[in-house]
Order: sequence, then structure tokens, then C-alpha cells
Amino acid sequence: MTTFRRRSAIGAAFASLALLATACSPTATDAASPGATDTTKPATSKPATSEPAAPAENIELTITTFGTMGLDGLYKEYEQAHPGITIKATNIDTGGNALTDWQTKQAAGAGLPDVQAVEEGWLSKVMSVSDSFTDLRDYGASDIASRWVPWKVAQATDQKGRIIGYGTDIGPQGICFNGKSLKAAGMPGDRDGFAQLLGGKDATWQKFFDVGKQYRDKTGKAWYDQSGFVWNSMVNQLDEGYYTKDGKLNVKDNAQLKERWTMLADAAKAGLSSNQTQWDWGGGKAFLDDSFATFVCPGWMLGVVKGQVEAGGGDATSGWDFADVYPGGAANWGGSFLTVPTTSKHPKEAAELAAWLTDAKQEVASFQAAGAFPSVVAAQQDPGVTGPSDLTKFFNNAPVGEILAKRAEGVKAQFKGPDDSVIQEQVFGPSVQAIDSGKADGQKAWDDAMKLLDTVVG
Amino acid sequence: MHAPHTATPTVTQPRSWRSRLSSLDVKYSPYAYVAPFFILFGLIGLFPLVYTFVVSLNDWNLLTGPGDWVGFANFSRELGDALFWNSLFNTFSIFLLSSVPQIITAVVIAALLDQNLRAKTFWRLSVLIPYVVTPVAVALIFSNIFGEKYGLVNNVLGSIGLDPVMWKTETFPSHVALATMVNWRWTGYNTLIVLAAMQAVPRDIYESAAIDGAGPVRRFLSITIPSIRPTLIFVIITSTIGGLQIFTEPKLFNAASSVPGGPQRQYQTTVLYLWDLAFNRQEFGRAAAVAWILFLLIVAIGVLNFLLARTISGTETRLVSRRRHTRAASLTAGSITKEPRA
Repeated sequence: MTTFRRRSAIGAAFASLALLATACSPTATDAASPGATDTTKPATSKPATSEPAAPAENIELTITTFGTMGLDGLYKEYEQAHPGITIKATNIDTGGNALTDWQTKQAAGAGLPDVQAVEEGWLSKVMSVSDSFTDLRDYGASDIASRWVPWKVAQATDQKGRIIGYGTDIGPQGICFNGKSLKAAGMPGDRDGFAQLLGGKDATWQKFFDVGKQYRDKTGKAWYDQSGFVWNSMVNQLDEGYYTKDGKLNVKDNAQLKERWTMLADAAKAGLSSNQTQWDWGGGKAFLDDSFATFVCPGWMLGVVKGQVEAGGGDATSGWDFADVYPGGAANWGGSFLTVPTTSKHPKEAAELAAWLTDAKQEVASFQAAGAFPSVVAAQQDPGVTGPSDLTKFFNNAPVGEILAKRAEGVKAQFKGPDDSVIQEQVFGPSVQAIDSGKADGQKAWDDAMKLLDTVVG
Repeated sequence: MHAPHTATPTVTQPRSWRSRLSSLDVKYSPYAYVAPFFILFGLIGLFPLVYTFVVSLNDWNLLTGPGDWVGFANFSRELGDALFWNSLFNTFSIFLLSSVPQIITAVVIAALLDQNLRAKTFWRLSVLIPYVVTPVAVALIFSNIFGEKYGLVNNVLGSIGLDPVMWKTETFPSHVALATMVNWRWTGYNTLIVLAAMQAVPRDIYESAAIDGAGPVRRFLSITIPSIRPTLIFVIITSTIGGLQIFTEPKLFNAASSVPGGPQRQYQTTVLYLWDLAFNRQEFGRAAAVAWILFLLIVAIGVLNFLLARTISGTETRLVSRRRHTRAASLTAGSITKEPRA
């Protein structure tokens, strides 16, 4: 009994010691490292480095990204070229979780990394606190601004003209379609034939839905997976979406919006929507069992489609293809920026890292890794983007990069107001689901959305 | 005052210092020993509570920070918001669908485990396994099982010719699905607590009841249940608090849903609504007000629970003692004169 008691007492003592040690260690090493490296590092690293500009002291840069941005392979390369800099990267699984993470840290005023990836959809929120991001013009943003497509730079510029982010990818949209399903329905299943079927350059949403109805009549199957993404695309390509250019709420009397809503509701009523669960699709099975034949595809979605098909047990033979056509003209969905929060202790080094990661060569690399279509003009024309890759193989050898470059032409940056994402998700989300499941007709769903608009945004 | 002290310096001073120290020790050390909890509680319990209240009195945006002081406007706005009441309805519906069957099942299983089983420890420990699984994993697994188009349950229903149930888009089925998750996780936990209480009931009471001719059901209702009443009250109160704070299950049930808690907010619970207000709609002040309303609600329900339980247990003990008196009276004739009421 006594030995047991003594042993447990010793155990407790050890446990508390261990706790103390772990609690102390980060601060201890933090405090020790700069001093230690100041004396040792220059002597060992000087002969090895060719650039004299490399900082002598050890700097740790933290970077937070999300989803599949294709940057992971690049950090090591940067560390090798810049002795003294170590990169500590965090990747958060989804954009939504990354937004929560950023907002929490932003609100707390602590814990933000040196380089923070920001999604287009958050821009309205980011711009409301644009002062808490470093003006990258202080670190040469003006000199390199010509790298990007102009509207990408415009998106990252706040009202005072400060540039707060370097563009990574953009989301020009094409249509993914299942060639096998279309052929089985007696319709053209090749890329060009499918693009012509939708009207080629003059493709409209009306035409898209009409063709869908023909497909539905022949096969009895749905045309697209669910109405939510279609609605996103329809709104995003308008000159003015939920807000006017000067920032006024623009939903209730927006005739263009209402017209498109009616069109979409009619399509859903005709059974063109497969009423799938967004981002789930039955673990990818819906991409394989002919549940739907078309899918709206911004560049980054190609990787998602490939991933879903593979998760569902399929491969390149499943028939998915990517066409150079988009109803209603050019549209962009998504795309990200790398920003430097003002809380960063090394803004100069962080800005340099962000600039390097968004340079042409690196954007080509991240396109190859994750299908994130570059926003840098030189990268868009790079053979690494236009040429073959795993993605092209998967999509029936479609020249994915070339198509996306064409689909990026004519995209305009729509003004996003402060509650844009809330309107998209919370006001129209329920109504989109209601027309898909047949719970409400177009008019009732629209009226419900307007009621919600008053509750949620009013 | 100075003179006596300096007169006897060498002998008395160390002793008095030591004795004073020891009396100080006796008086104040216990406070030092319990202080860590109260300091910790003040830091991570009380301070956030008070701070939340301050936030709730402001028109506070999550990102841009405190705005105007609005007094109780956030509270009155929430009490008039249909979405808030919707979330409250969902919370209570899921809570009732989970807690009531859960506690009844837990008591029944505990009673079975209380019997003389073979491999007792194995059976007793295995009821706790679901509790060990993290709620996130539970939510992910069950959200697959309850998938509408490809889920296990609907596949089974389809194979026997029944219509699929819209687990994620209709109100009642979604509440049942969420309650299933909660029950799966917590029934075993409550079972073990109830079992521990049952083990403490003296066996000879059962024996004498059996000799008196009481069957197993009668023994369960008249001995087991009254004996474990304090534990039952504890279990009911903790599961009430847990039930009103439900978040993970509805959040992850359809993780990618653009509206947290289902497209039509069919299963948006109050805590999920609070989270939505704070992090999607940036309304930090209103979210803080919801947090406080929920806090007050839980306290109120806790008090109600307690009073109710005390009244019931009060009448029950009176009833039992009266019955004992009656029985004692009928056995010994002499006591009839002593206790005329019985």
C-alpha cells in the first residue's frame, strides 16, 4: 500500500514537471534562438549563399492556406533559395473553416500568421478591416502589379487605393459534362459538339435549360446536380449582383435577378436538377451513376470533380469531359489572394514570400498540383498550364489550361457588398433547395427569399 | 508597548513567531488550497460570462469591433426574431427526443447489468464504448448513415419497398436522426452512472421484498427507482444542460450546408444559431445576447427540474413512510392506539 502510494506521488510529481517543461519550452526556445543564431549562422551560411541580400538571422514565417491551393511543394524550394528563412505552413481543410479561423483571430487581434490566404468570397469582410492588412505597395506591389489580370488587382485594392493581396488563382468557368451520358441520349458527346449544342459563343442559360429538357425527355434523368451552383454562376456573371456598384442593396427590384430566378425555378420544376447534396454527392457516387450529365466548373472545381469521381470508385473512363462554353458569357467563381496581416513581425519577408509564391513559375506549379488556374498572365500562357497534365488525362484529354484561359477572357470583377455571402447562402440557399425538392414554386420561393432578406440582412 | 518586547527578546520571539505562523497556517492555508479553482473559475468562467454580457449590450461587429452602446436592444430584437424561436423549438424538440428515451433506456439497461451476469465487467464496460468515440466521428458516420440518396437507412428502406425518408431536409426526421446520434453516444454513459447508484442499494432490502412476495418488476419500481432518485435527478439535470447546448451533431450533420442547421433551418439549434450570428453574420452583440438568454434559460430549467424532483421525492418518501407505518401497525396490534392516523 505504501509503495503504491509513494509511486503514485512520484508519478504526479513527474507529470507536473512535464507540464511545466512543455509550458515553458516554446518561450524558452523563442527567446534563445535569435541570440544563438546571430553568432553562429553568418559564419556557417555565408560561404554557401550566393545572394548577399539574404538575411543573416533566422526568421520563421507562418503561412495559413486552405483547401487545395497547390503551394505545399513550393515552400521547401523557397527555404533553399533563402537561407535563414523557415516556413511553417498550416493548411485548413475547407474555405469555410479557414474563414472561421481567420475571423476568430482577426477579432481577437492575435494569432494571425505572417501570410494569410484569403478567398474571393470573404473579400467584403476583409475590406471592412483592410487597415489591418499591410499595404503591399510599401514592398513593391506597384512594380509587379502588371503580372496579374487587371481585375484581380482591382479586387485586392481597397477604397483608399491600398493593395492588400497578391492574386493566386482565379475561377473562370466552363461546363463539365459526361460525354458517355450524352451519347447514350443520342446527343453529341464530344467537346466541340457539346459546345455547339449549347450555342457556342452565344450560349445562353435559356439554351442550356432547353437542351437539358431534351436530355430529360430522352433519358428521364436530371441535367445538372443541384441548383445552388447554377444560381451562384448566374448571379456572379451579372454586371451588378446583390449590390449596385456604389454599394446599395440591389435584390428586391432587380429585374435581371428575378428573370434568372424564374428561369432556374422552371428548370428545376421540369426535373433538370438532381437535387444532390452540395459538396457531398453521395461520396462521389452521383458522378458515376448518371444522376446528372453536366456540372458548372470553375478551374479549381476540376480537381474536385476528379477527387469525387475517384472517391466514388471511378476513373478517367467515367466519361467526364470539359467544354469551352459557358451560358450567359464569361463568369468567375472563386480565387484567392495572399495577404500580410499588420500583426506580422516580418512584413518585408512575408511580402517577399507572398510575391514569390504568386509569380508565374510558382503559379504554374500550383496549377499542375491542384488545378488552381493562375491569375498571372504569363502563367496562363505557359506550356505547363496549356499542356497535358493529370487533369487533362482525367478529362478525356481536354486542353484544360487553354480552355480556362479562353474562359477567363471578358470576366469583370463584380462589386461584392458586406452581406454578399450571407445573401447568397442564407437568403437564397433555402429557396434554391425548396425549388429543387419541389417544396415551393418559383414565385413562392422568391417571396420566401425576400422575407428572409428582411430578417437576415435588414 | 516597546518595553516588554525588548525585555524578553531571545526566548519568546522565535516561539511566538512560529506559533503565530502555525495559527495563520490553520486559519488561512485552506483558502490557499482551494484558491486555484476559484482563480481559474474567475478567469475562464466568470470573466467570459461578464464580458459576454458587456458585448451583448453593444452593437458589436465581429471584425470591426464594438460599435454603439444599445442597452437591451439586442435582447429584445432576439426575442422578436422568428429564427431565434425556430432555433429554440428545434433545441427542445431534439432535447426531448433524445433525453427522455435515453434516460429510460439507461435505467433499464442499468437494471439488467445490475443482475448476476456472467462476464459482468465486459458487459458493463462495453456500454461505454460509444462515449469514447469523439462526437465529430459520430456525426460524420451518422450523417452518412442518414444520407438521403445514398445513405444506409434509406437503402434498407428502399430494398423493402418503402419510400426514402428525407433525413436532412425535413424537420421531424432530421430531429429523430440527431436524437439518435445523441442517444447512441450518451446512453452508455448515463447507464454506468445509474448502475453505480443501483449497486449502492442494500441487497437485503431486495431479499426481504422477495420474501414478502414482490416480483422483479415490483422490486424495480418500488425499491430500485426510489433508492436511486438523487442520481436520477443528477442525470436528468446534466442531460438537460447538455441537451440545450447541442452543437456538434447538427453542425456536422450536413457539414457543407450553406445554412448551418439545414437548408430551411430544420435543425438549427440555439447554439448553432448563435454561432451563425457571430461568425457568418458578424453580429457579435446579438450572438452574445443569445448566449445570455440561453444561459438564463438553462438556469431556469435547472431550478425547475430541481424543485420538481424535490417535490416528487418528498411525496414519495412520505408515501413510503406512511406505508411502512401502516404495515407496522397491522403487524403489531398495540401500535394502533399509538398511531391513530394510520
